[in-house]
Amino acid sequence: MSDLSHPEYHLPPTNEPLRISVRRLRWFRAAFQKFTQDLGAEIGCVFHLDEPKLAEIFVRWLRAIERQKPADKSARKDYFEFAAGLMLREFTADLPLKALSAPRNVAADSAAAFWPEGYVCTLFCLTVHAAAAEQEFHDHPDVAPAFDDLRQWWSFRENIRQDNGFSVGFLQLLLGHQPNWAMPDVFRARLQHEISEATPRPV
Amino acid sequence: MSSQSPLLPDAMPLREALRGLRHVLRKGGETLKETMTVDTLPPPAARLAGAVLREVEAIAKGMDDAASGLAKKVLGNPDPAAPSLHRITGQQDGDLAFAAAFYAATQAVLKRLDAPGLFISEAAARKAFQNLSLPSAPDAEVAAALTLALQDAKALKGHADLTARVTPSAIGPVTLFAVMLWLQSQRPEAEDEAALDAATDLAVALAADITTACTARDPAALAALYAEFASHV
Repeated sequence: MSDLSHPEYHLPPTNEPLRISVRRLRWFRAAFQKFTQDLGAEIGCVFHLDEPKLAEIFVRWLRAIERQKPADKSARKDYFEFAAGLMLREFTADLPLKALSAPRNVAADSAAAFWPEGYVCTLFCLTVHAAAAEQEFHDHPDVAPAFDDLRQWWSFRENIRQDNGFSVGFLQLLLGHQPNWAMPDVFRARLQHEISEATPRPV
Repeated sequence: MSSQSPLLPDAMPLREALRGLRHVLRKGGETLKETMTVDTLPPPAARLAGAVLREVEAIAKGMDDAASGLAKKVLGNPDPAAPSLHRITGQQDGDLAFAAAFYAATQAVLKRLDAPGLFISEAAARKAFQNLSLPSAPDAEVAAALTLALQDAKALKGHADLTARVTPSAIGPVTLFAVMLWLQSQRPEAEDEAALDAATDLAVALAADITTACTARDPAALAALYAEFASHV
């Protein structure tokens, strides 16, 4: 399911634009339930979902994206990706899933086997982002090679123990971008980082 | 604001009385079971007490069924689909529509909170709506005023079980908030139930903010919470 070319297959239908539905708890929950079930079946793992915890994650995420929302409309596309990173940050702060068994259908050295709960939450954020980017910008984001590198997942899991903001940078990395690791969950810092990367340095 | 037709009897007081009777019978049965420790009696007394208890339970159940049947079938129980606060405040019989929607939604919210034993007063909800002084204000402000009015009118009575998902002191504010949030949410009829579940879970997640606002009787803080979350149910 790491192929993001048809993200809508793994999400429930909605008559509203995805950017609206994903900010309604009833759709967000239905989407996460369906996604966990589908991906769980694929990797051969059953998960227990803590619904009250999921609602708390949703509330924290809504408040986080509202707090950092840029006034500049030209930053909208970049902010969509950043919002997906914030979603992952809230998921990893207090995981709502618990694997009831080890995944049966994946290699022992895969990310899904290494950390099933983190793997499902990360792929959910990537999938929602891909579906929204397609609807809003006709963009087709895909995962970078870092996705299949177990060392990246190991580093991700270790680093968020110290600072959960690393989740935002990790998601950016999986989408093939270079995060600002100093302040990965501050949108303005990220923009400034991108500007400085793009500006030629004086010789 | 009341619009009860003079030609029709007002069924609400009788419905409320029958629900009260049903509530007392159910609570009384539970209390009796908890209080009477038949097992600790010597065998002959235990047999006698057990037989009496079963007899009393049968009588109570019969009365409960009769009260429930009357309340549900004879008097009717309006259960409007997808009610909205905005529509209700603008309609002629808003007090009746609000009270009916409040009763049905509160039942579902309490069930999801694992606190089904509380008594819901449809009459108190109707009175709170009738006394509403700002029906033309924004929905979030109306909802905040109604939340405090429902609290004052004791639209929820009794005590929640300790097994409920929120603390006994938070159960009232959280329940009222969930119902009022749901009434402000945009949703198709098919998603009514999912929206009510979502409103309940949002209220649980916001329990600390809600309880603080309700305890301080701060309508502005409550209205701000409604405005922040009504479109996210």
